[in-house]
Amino acid sequence: MFKLSALQHDALVEIFNLGVGQAAAAMSRIVKEEVTMSVPLIAFQSRAQVAQTLGSGEGRRISAVAQQFVGAFNTEAFLMFPEEKSLEIVRLMVGQSLTMEELGEMEQEAMSEIGNIILNSCMGAFANASGRELQGSLPIYHAGTGDDILGLSGKEWDGVVLALKIDFNIEKRHIHGHVAFLLDMTALQDLQQYVDDYLAGLTK
Amino acid sequence: MADPSPYLLNSVLKAVRVGVIVLDAGQRIVLWNRWIEQHACLPATDVLGKTFADVFPGMVDGRTHVAIRSALLNNFASLISQTLNKAPFPLYANPADAADDARMQQAVHVMPLDVPDLPRHCLVQIGDVSMSVSRERKLREMAVELESQTLVDGLTGIANRRRFDLHLEGEFRRARRNVSPLSLLMIDVDDFKAYNDSYGHQRGDACLARIAAALDAVPHRPRDLVARYGGEEFAVVLPDTDVEGALQVAEAMRTAIAALLLEHAHAGNARHVTASFGVSTLTPGQESTTGALIHGADRALYQAKRAGRNCVMVHAHEGSSA
Repeated sequence: MFKLSALQHDALVEIFNLGVGQAAAAMSRIVKEEVTMSVPLIAFQSRAQVAQTLGSGEGRRISAVAQQFVGAFNTEAFLMFPEEKSLEIVRLMVGQSLTMEELGEMEQEAMSEIGNIILNSCMGAFANASGRELQGSLPIYHAGTGDDILGLSGKEWDGVVLALKIDFNIEKRHIHGHVAFLLDMTALQDLQQYVDDYLAGLTK
Repeated sequence: MADPSPYLLNSVLKAVRVGVIVLDAGQRIVLWNRWIEQHACLPATDVLGKTFADVFPGMVDGRTHVAIRSALLNNFASLISQTLNKAPFPLYANPADAADDARMQQAVHVMPLDVPDLPRHCLVQIGDVSMSVSRERKLREMAVELESQTLVDGLTGIANRRRFDLHLEGEFRRARRNVSPLSLLMIDVDDFKAYNDSYGHQRGDACLARIAAALDAVPHRPRDLVARYGGEEFAVVLPDTDVEGALQVAEAMRTAIAALLLEHAHAGNARHVTASFGVSTLTPGQESTTGALIHGADRALYQAKRAGRNCVMVHAHEGSSA
């Protein structure tokens, strides 16, 4: 599997933590309550490995928010939580008790906004760090197993997934989620270039 | 195929049932369609050329404003949902609502917009989601209503409090008619608050489900009923059962719970989850009520707690034949 140097790895972790920190601040303003987020772990994995981590083998249901980013490098980004956790997040954010077992139309939209904030912040931190631009689409909500969701971009796809673990804290609750960036070989090289530009910027 | 004429596009912009605002790189309003004129109660002539902050001073640095900046600077699109952002724009369904300051429910999309030969613009689309919001509210009310009519406890799968009340009422009348004894057990899981505090609510829920299943497996007759009374309390209705019979059932249940060996490191005097039992038996006369039966079982349960938990106590009804 593809590997970054220790320096590149640390740079990415730093950029993503900066990004989710901004997302947490934006979410705190919405709920008027402290929200904190961090990225403790990043790794390059195959699509099958990520799906396995998400419990695809056991048929575990995931809620996902997907966005396309194009420009300095092209990627499809997913924010994913187990379905019951996304219900809990929306509950905590909205502050009302939902009796339903799945997200209704309005809750799906709320979840999409949460995903939109997090993914935009991550990629925004990225763009600012390297001074190169990315264009981001609107978020789309999906539900299904990790396999279903990551398979949306087609079976023929043979790239690598940049997988992030996200720790999400709201009202003393700790919730773990995942962010996945699907990268084909070209995107992977562009990403590496991107990180190198960032590191070069730091040492200037 | 040729591009549609600007005249046609203009007509479409006027006709669509969506609010369309376009801002230039300096956040000045360059497009303001008919829908938004109507619902903001502001004609285009009043706002064109003004900045977002001038027109919407109440929204400066709010979520929508941040999204506009992000579209213009970072080229990112944003969704601003009705659920998390209650009516960000001062838009109204009609003049009467405007007078009452009752805002329309909105879903907002903010998108970067490329314009030839000019710096990037930003498109703000606003949809009226009042219908969806009221439909969801109705659905939620119906779900709550349905839940109130159900007879099964959602967590444990055994009878719920409502079923218990109905069943006890029926059996009480029957016992009075047949002059037969009716017994009630009240059961409370010992030190359950400490269990929840140390193991978390999810394991607390799982613990209650295991206990409910164990209790439910003890009685065999069709009119015996094991119900979740509330929180960590359970109740058992035993028709045609005298004190001795009720004691036997209670003891079997107490043993069944202890035999589950559910670890509880913070219990007062046991290492595993246990429960206390109060037994009350009545042969109802004309004057007696279910309240007396429940009250008796509650008193006995209280005594069982005082006696050190994990035991069965019986309430003696005055003047009762049982």
